[in-house]
Amino acid sequence: MSTAIAMPAPVAKPRRNGLALVVALIAPIALVNAFGFLAPVLNLARMSFYEVEPTGTMHEAFSFATWGKVIADTFYAELIVNSIAVSLGITLLTLICSYPITLYLHRSSGIWKTILLVLVISPLLTSAVVRTYGWIAILSEDGLVNNLLASLGLGRLRLMFNETGVIIGLTEILMPYMILALLAGFGRLDPRVEEAASTLGAPPFTIFRRIILPLTLPGIALGCLLCFVLAVSSFITPKLLGGGRVFLLATEIYDQAIVTLNWPLAASLSILVLVIFGAALVLYARALRAVL
Amino acid sequence: MIDTRTAPGQGFLSIRGLTKRYASFTAVDNLDLEVPKGELVAFLGPSGCGKTTSLRMIAGLVPVTSGCIVVGGQDLTDVATHRRDMGLVFQSYALFPHMSVAKNVAFGLEMRKVPKDEIAKRVKEAIALVHLTGKEEHRPAQLSGGQQQRVALARALVIRPSILLFDEPLSNLDAKLRDEMRNEIRDIQQRLGITAIFVTHDQSEALTMCDKVVVMNQGRLEQLGTPVDLYERPKTAFVASFVGRTNRLKAVARDGFADFAGQRIVAPAGLSGPVEVMVRPHRVALSPAGGEGVTGTITRAIFAGDILQYDVDAAGQTVSVELATRGGETVLAPGTAVALSWRPQDVFVYGAAA
Repeated sequence: MSTAIAMPAPVAKPRRNGLALVVALIAPIALVNAFGFLAPVLNLARMSFYEVEPTGTMHEAFSFATWGKVIADTFYAELIVNSIAVSLGITLLTLICSYPITLYLHRSSGIWKTILLVLVISPLLTSAVVRTYGWIAILSEDGLVNNLLASLGLGRLRLMFNETGVIIGLTEILMPYMILALLAGFGRLDPRVEEAASTLGAPPFTIFRRIILPLTLPGIALGCLLCFVLAVSSFITPKLLGGGRVFLLATEIYDQAIVTLNWPLAASLSILVLVIFGAALVLYARALRAVL
Repeated sequence: MIDTRTAPGQGFLSIRGLTKRYASFTAVDNLDLEVPKGELVAFLGPSGCGKTTSLRMIAGLVPVTSGCIVVGGQDLTDVATHRRDMGLVFQSYALFPHMSVAKNVAFGLEMRKVPKDEIAKRVKEAIALVHLTGKEEHRPAQLSGGQQQRVALARALVIRPSILLFDEPLSNLDAKLRDEMRNEIRDIQQRLGITAIFVTHDQSEALTMCDKVVVMNQGRLEQLGTPVDLYERPKTAFVASFVGRTNRLKAVARDGFADFAGQRIVAPAGLSGPVEVMVRPHRVALSPAGGEGVTGTITRAIFAGDILQYDVDAAGQTVSVELATRGGETVLAPGTAVALSWRPQDVFVYGAAA
């Protein structure tokens, strides 16, 4: 019984169909992305080198005129910096508002958790336009907040047609996404681990700083990436709550494409947005590697 | 009978009237317990008996409904978990996944603001104690289940806790590792003279490792005693059937005797009507038919190497019998008539469960 115990030889898995299966599984999404994403982006890239007349008429050409303008005119540099700064601010605010909610959600269980999750997701069932109009009713000169402040004799605040309004509105609109992303990244957070830290002498804040926060960093990274990308590319809310006085990349692209009819300029700014997203993705990958 | 109860207030860990009530049920009901310094005491019982809730109340992770918990003369009932100075080893290990083995073990010492060089020294000792030297920089996920449990043990030991609490620490390990860890935990606990509570649903763990065992059922303490007490002198039918294996035979008691298949068995005074007679399979003696005792017929015979198992039908009830083999026995065929007998001290009579 001690020496020779014959083990059945492991049966080799059939590999003939392996590659074909992988190709078959990837093909649909690859096709959709090729026609729906890659082709339009390449077209945009090409278009950014076209020539354009003030009337909006485009000529197929290979001109650096538009790119030269984007690089030389400090308006666009400011636009990019401002867009990134505002989006980062919105992302941070969204994180701060969403984190405690997610922590509570992660710890609740059963039917209560389901109810809370539905509540978190329910704003997504309404379009961002409707929710933005809701914010206008709250933030406008004659809105809920200002009427309340005025009735208390505190005067009125400018909460709309400036960056404040855009930041408030987008933060609320992006919170469901942040909460869901955080929740997905909270998998390693186990109540037993927190209890272990407690029995070892860690007071509540130390548990948060040394256990909860590090374990939720993957969720934080994912949520921030998602919200940053959504904030940079959102244009309805900045348009309505900014009232044309807040200049961000997405609103500028819309104006150039629809109002000014300068498609090459809209195309070049779109490519810049893609570059920013690429940079965000690289940062995300690095952050993730550092925390895992 | 040896008195295993320590007088109230005499234990190092003293639990008085500990109760935990939830809205719809009572998880722990008026638990009294004195644990002398340096003893390893098991909380044994089926799932839902309140053993883990009791342990969590001792650790401060579950607030008590009433009662008190005193350690070394200090009332800890309302003291926060992180100030209780207890070490807890979890069933799921609960290691910090983002820290190395050394960082995990050092955590409790850092919380106690121990100087850096002393932390390094004590962490090294603790890791050596659980035979994990060389794994200091590994992450928990890189270790096997047994190794992770050793890290958890080192992490709890290194702070030199006043009491070490184990919450089913071996349940997630395979059988071989479980035996190994069982011996190791016992060795370390005795060597360091630590007072410890060990929660388990595995009666063999409780019997083999612990100085004393608290058998719990439905939130109540059924019996407190040494492993020998519980096995040889179970106070209740629950203890008799939960600790070790036993035959549960129906009988009727009258005038201080239970009658099983014509055999008169001394019953506790005051017991009458339907009762349960319990006798352990290996304490039943088998003799040829016509001998002394209860007459029965073998219905099943199993030769299991070290033991011979028989099922014997006696008065319509099945009695299991186990005989240690010494070599040369004939295995009796089913249908053979036999006589069953036992020593009076091996039989227990309890009132039948309602």
